[in-house]
Amino acid sequence: MKALSTLFFYSLCTLAFAQTKIEGRITDGKDNPIPLANIFLKDTYDGTSSNENGNFSFQTTENGTQTLIVKFIGYKEFQKQIVIEGKSLNLEIRLQEEISELDAVTISAGAFTASDESRRTVFRAVDIATTAGESGRLFVRGGDGNEARTFIDGMLVLDAYSPSAPNTPSRGRFLPFMFKGTSFSTGGYSAEYGQALSSALVLDSKDESEINRTDIGILSVGGDVAHTQSWEGGSMAGKVQYTNLRPYMGLINQRMDWKTPPASMEGIGAFRQKVGKHGMVKAYGNFTHSDFSLYNHNIDDYNTKQLYDLTNNYRYLNGFYKNTINSNWMMRGGLSYTSLANDILIDNNKVVETEKGIHAKTVFEGSLSDHVELKSGLEVINRNYDQSYISLTEPTHTAAFEETITSAFVETDVYASNKFVTRFGGRLEHNSLLNKVSFDPRISLAYKTDERGQVSFAYGKFRQSPKNELLRQDERLDQEKAEHFILNYQRIDNDRTFRIETYYKRYDDLIKIENTSLANQGSGYARGIELFWRDKESVDHLDYWISYSFLDTERDYLNFPVKSVPSFASKHNFSAVAKYFVQKLKSQLGATWSVTSGRPYNNPNEDKFNGSFTPTYRDLSFNWSYLPKPYLIVYFSCTNLLGRNNIFGYEYSTVQNENGQYNSRPIRQAAPRFLFVGIFITLSKDKSINQLPTL
Amino acid sequence: MKTLTIIPILIAILMLALVNFGFASDGKYEQAMKKNIESVYKAQSVEELQQAVNAFERIGTTEKDHWEPQYYAAFGYIMMANREKDGGKKDQYLDQATAALDKAKVIAPEESEIIALEGFAYMIRITVDPASRGPQFGARAMQAYGKASTLNPENPRALALMAQMQYGTAQFFGSPATEACTTLNKALEKFETFKSENALAPQWGRGMAESLKTQCK
Repeated sequence: MKALSTLFFYSLCTLAFAQTKIEGRITDGKDNPIPLANIFLKDTYDGTSSNENGNFSFQTTENGTQTLIVKFIGYKEFQKQIVIEGKSLNLEIRLQEEISELDAVTISAGAFTASDESRRTVFRAVDIATTAGESGRLFVRGGDGNEARTFIDGMLVLDAYSPSAPNTPSRGRFLPFMFKGTSFSTGGYSAEYGQALSSALVLDSKDESEINRTDIGILSVGGDVAHTQSWEGGSMAGKVQYTNLRPYMGLINQRMDWKTPPASMEGIGAFRQKVGKHGMVKAYGNFTHSDFSLYNHNIDDYNTKQLYDLTNNYRYLNGFYKNTINSNWMMRGGLSYTSLANDILIDNNKVVETEKGIHAKTVFEGSLSDHVELKSGLEVINRNYDQSYISLTEPTHTAAFEETITSAFVETDVYASNKFVTRFGGRLEHNSLLNKVSFDPRISLAYKTDERGQVSFAYGKFRQSPKNELLRQDERLDQEKAEHFILNYQRIDNDRTFRIETYYKRYDDLIKIENTSLANQGSGYARGIELFWRDKESVDHLDYWISYSFLDTERDYLNFPVKSVPSFASKHNFSAVAKYFVQKLKSQLGATWSVTSGRPYNNPNEDKFNGSFTPTYRDLSFNWSYLPKPYLIVYFSCTNLLGRNNIFGYEYSTVQNENGQYNSRPIRQAAPRFLFVGIFITLSKDKSINQLPTL
Repeated sequence: MKTLTIIPILIAILMLALVNFGFASDGKYEQAMKKNIESVYKAQSVEELQQAVNAFERIGTTEKDHWEPQYYAAFGYIMMANREKDGGKKDQYLDQATAALDKAKVIAPEESEIIALEGFAYMIRITVDPASRGPQFGARAMQAYGKASTLNPENPRALALMAQMQYGTAQFFGSPATEACTTLNKALEKFETFKSENALAPQWGRGMAESLKTQCK
């Protein structure tokens, strides 16, 4: 009896404490062990971590059908149904790689990205802003400055640069800092963007909410005040900026004969609000009024001068919305409106030019599967342009056109693995002026050679309507076309970057001017190599980069009598940028050294068209940011320290002098140097934030 | 069979049943949490931290009403990010920490400790790239510490982390650390008096505060 009850007791114990051993090994696709993976039974605490050989073992008191889960960073979660019936289980588990944003290869051919969020970009926004030197237009290799387009949150921005007096650098209307990501593409860009023959500047505005702050800037050329107000899920910012170069030009001798130096008044507003869990609404506006006037002196007789007076009114409004549709798909859409008006007075003749553009766009993007992403969208761009020439002696002459371009695009990224991605897509466009439908393919691929390096290739066809001043003369002109081939290799270590890129661009249907008639009979090519090296590691507190590019290009377009090198092209381009932080001085010092070989210009006294070359361009610029207090920055910059007399080209008289030669005048910088001083103050609850990023 | 012999058997079965169904004074949840909290505090290496984090994740997927498992998983990931030298891996760990904290916030949106830990994650993000992340994440960290302190003025960790941030900023600008030291003294006071009804409440941070104290005269 006692033995029976003891036996009963012990068997009860065994049943109640019945434990099953589950063990095995975790490996990846290549049989490498995965240590520290998390293995457990769903809805229980039973589990363990794998050891350095990938082996694991744990006991469980559960039985019946259970779900075994295995998790580890960088791999897809593994789930398997198992049945626990008393005997121990041994499992060989293979985890599948997850395509992760941090690890996956990216298409880098033709693209120079700056981002604060992604670590695998060449630049951060602060790099672009704190680089000494002229911050004029972006240098578009192989292309005319007019062949680049700017997009904010996918929406087209017409006239993204403020009007400049002849031969002075123009300033971008948008600072790099509003944006979390800036992608400057030198070619081969996404099917999402069109109407840009050579390159696209893609800016993505920041999503994260801001802190309440007030920023004041006191500059040698004006001042600005900005205020940001933020609340749960949203923020609103406004800025007013006044710039007037008159006091500055009164102090520093100018070569231009200004009547009223450039002055501008600008108001900017930005709004951002989270909608629901994943959605967002953004709005942005920019209103600018700017004007200047100067005298152009006749080349042959200095006393004969002509007044040139420009007033520009610019309005830009952009509304943007995005939200997730489900866990795999999101949609975004926007509407942008640009209106610009130039009132130009040339002596007593008036030229009034206006352009209004509306852009509406919707994009759907998401994942078709773990390895395939899809992006597709529809957009309409409507542009209204007119120019009137009003003179006292002749009747008013007006030229105008209205162009509507409707397009649809599809693009898909196929990730064979984290190491190899192929992107292909196409763009369908209908142009109302030509009443034609066109199709342009875009293909690119990238392969990660190792942990830090990757090779990338891009191909695409691009088209763009001719410049306004040509299109207004004949609205039936066909679009200009380009075909790009780009190959690049880049290697981004933590603090060192190396990049080499080679490209070939073929241009067709460029506009040619014969006497007064225009036709799409021009063509051209551009090819070259670019090298880039950046090092933040070798010397303490020193960040420097060196870039060199070689460009070989010729075009037969506009008024060229034969295929020649265009005047915006220089064969060799070199620049070195250095930034050094000196803790003792609480300062960052920066310098930029640029050397560019001569650019061609046309000398009517010579036979060969565009056969003469300007002297080599050399510029050493310097800047100094001093932070005496966390919320205060004193900034000083100076271009062309060495005072080199850089010449960008020559202007020629229209009549021959007594020797049968045309007199010339060099086109120089407006002043030997540009000096700038600014004081930036930030007022906020947290006294340690400042404007260093937004300079 | 005599009744007397059945009684010990019945008691044995009853005791077995009780132990099995967790009516002991410390439930299965509290037991598992206490054991792993001790491991995560004592961990000396990234491996030990990962093991503790894995345990918290296992508990967290089952116990969907408790914020503590997600909190400590995030804490473990932040400690791992702190030890890691490679910037890309740091960001990876901090992404995991942020994901865990987001889950914790859904369960307990007004919990001061969670917000303070969020601030800590932002602070470690800065170390990946101080020049460009300093202003942005520094401001967010300070905002988080301020909010955590408002939610619970007795939270010593919110104050200690704030003092750490203020001290770092003062060092960078070469300014005196008076504000940081004032905050630090308040933090040390709160460590002395901190009490929580929650047996699993965070207790860490005193060591960090005391070592910062040596920098304040």
